[in-house]
Amino acid sequence: MKKMGLREFLFLVPILILICIFSLWPVLQSFTYSFFDYQLNDRTKSGLYLSERFNVDLYNETSFYVDRFISMDMETISDDQDKADANQVLAGLTELNKEFENEEGVIKLTGDQTDQVLNVYQNTKTTVDQLVSKYELQQGENLPLLVDDINNSLIQSNFVGLDGYKQAFSDGFVGIALKNTLIFTVVSVFLELILGMGMALIMNKAMQGQGFIRTSSLIPWAIPTAVAALMWSYLYDGGAGIVAEFFSIVGFIDQPTDLLQTSTGAMTAVVLADVWKTTPYMAILLLAGLQTIPKSLYEAASIDGASIVQKFFRVTVPLLMPAILVALLFRTMDAFRVFDLIYVLTGGGPGGSTETLSVYSYKVMFGQTNFGYGSVIVMIMFVCVAIITTIYVKVLGASVMEKN
Amino acid sequence: MAKENGFSLKKSWSFLVLLFIYLAVVIFPFIWILITSFKSTGEIFGDNPFRVIPENPTLQHYANVIFEKGIMNAVWNSLIVSFSTTIYIVLVATFAAYAISRFEFRGKNLLLGIVLAVAMFPQMIVIGPVYNLFIELGWTNSYWIALPFSSITLPMSVWILVTHFNQIPLALEESAKMDGASPFQTLFKIVFPLAAPGVFTTAIIVFITAWNEFVLTITINSNAEYHTVPVAISFLRTQFEILWGEVAAATVVVTIPTLIIVLLFQRQIVSGLTSGGVKE
Repeated sequence: MKKMGLREFLFLVPILILICIFSLWPVLQSFTYSFFDYQLNDRTKSGLYLSERFNVDLYNETSFYVDRFISMDMETISDDQDKADANQVLAGLTELNKEFENEEGVIKLTGDQTDQVLNVYQNTKTTVDQLVSKYELQQGENLPLLVDDINNSLIQSNFVGLDGYKQAFSDGFVGIALKNTLIFTVVSVFLELILGMGMALIMNKAMQGQGFIRTSSLIPWAIPTAVAALMWSYLYDGGAGIVAEFFSIVGFIDQPTDLLQTSTGAMTAVVLADVWKTTPYMAILLLAGLQTIPKSLYEAASIDGASIVQKFFRVTVPLLMPAILVALLFRTMDAFRVFDLIYVLTGGGPGGSTETLSVYSYKVMFGQTNFGYGSVIVMIMFVCVAIITTIYVKVLGASVMEKN
Repeated sequence: MAKENGFSLKKSWSFLVLLFIYLAVVIFPFIWILITSFKSTGEIFGDNPFRVIPENPTLQHYANVIFEKGIMNAVWNSLIVSFSTTIYIVLVATFAAYAISRFEFRGKNLLLGIVLAVAMFPQMIVIGPVYNLFIELGWTNSYWIALPFSSITLPMSVWILVTHFNQIPLALEESAKMDGASPFQTLFKIVFPLAAPGVFTTAIIVFITAWNEFVLTITINSNAEYHTVPVAISFLRTQFEILWGEVAAATVVVTIPTLIIVLLFQRQIVSGLTSGGVKE
């Protein structure tokens, strides 16, 4: 293999750009979000503020009115001491105005500047409160509220460090979502493996009509999950759904409406829809593996007097192991991240009984516009996925090594 | 001999029965949706909703979803987004896979590791930052949505293409190089034609994946004008009433393109799905 030159490196530039912008950068960004109390619908939290910030525009506007209102009442303030205090306040406000003369919007502050702003706020507040209680001011009602806006223009840092993670560990919904995700993943992947294996064995034997079987197997895989979910929500419907009706006639459920309205029923429904959609995919992956096993091995086993069951466990399974593990890895990852199916079919309901980590994090992020906490849940998912992958790769690596 | 024949005959009967059950389970939902799409709303919600043959067959639901609910606009959006995704992803992935398969460079394993990791991580992880990015750029409700689709389509494209490139012998390229071809000429005149089946397989898998994408579109393209098929369909239910007849008709309409693709290209799809998964 040749060494790569500069010109050949150009082949890699597009993929590097795309991966960096749309995969790596967002991951790092989500990781960053998870350390902030980052909420889009709250003006003081709708950004990542590591240090304290200052809303110059709000301050300028506020100080302008405070200045005006106090000046208006200078005549009313009779006591000399009070007058001096009021003048001092005005001087403080003006000084701060000068300090940020050339700034606009939201800016970062140094520690000293923060102290200065707080100082001005404290002084103004004490003096104004005193004046308001002592005299009949024209803007007596509005002035204290205005003064509070000086404090509001100081935006606190919304860096919360690991607090989001702490919250997640004590958040019952995360526990429930994790449990639901694990149940969904284990049950659906297990059923898909068993059924897919059986189907692959049948397809491998079937001489005629393989093309037809393959086509009909590919359709559930190929149609959009959201479309399949909506289709199943019709079949599961308590009044008009034929599958719900069938289940109640057979006796799995008491009434057709129980299927989507009880927690076990809804989880079963979601798992079955997923099994319907992805078993054929599993079967096709396993079938490809089966077709690479040489026929001569089975013949040799027959000559040695092996039964069908023995042939399956002694020849098929060991030789198919790499294909099984790869298929399992792909399916486990997909099932763990399941979103479309549940979001459209049950929306996580009833009462959160089918809410998985994906669905919960999406609701937190885009339902409550809480990107910070939503990212915490996403990062928890990320860690789970990393653990699952590592286990598979360890096992997969070991089985491939064994084979060599 | 006779005994063995009898045994295999019995076996083939049980095969046929199993096969029939399997096909019935797989295909039944489609058949039922097809039947429902011709039933009147009165019949679907009536006393006898489970008749196999519609009482008064009607095309009303099809007319409704096509002319009133604008399902064709969603199909059009899906076509634009899926085709553009396919074109740029296949191009980018082909370049990358060629370099990975043909040249030695530092960080190659790191690149492959990152590609694999991207394929594994939850899609939810990119959606927040990408949403903010699109808001900032003013790209929400536009066809730019095809760009973040790269996070779900690039890894598998690279994977499939590297497998295919590795199967093409190096000798041809070396003779082209001796004749004075540049790397780009070698790629376009020698490697590309030889890799065409693999590239085509990748294109189809990318197309289907882009066609099926849901979360990014529903989040970033919230305007109904830019809804793709999966998103538009999901909104048929969240209205005040659930019109199953229209849901069924819409499902039939949007499944047709998928059906055609699967019928025409099943061989490529299977080869794409299984490459990398099976050691040949």
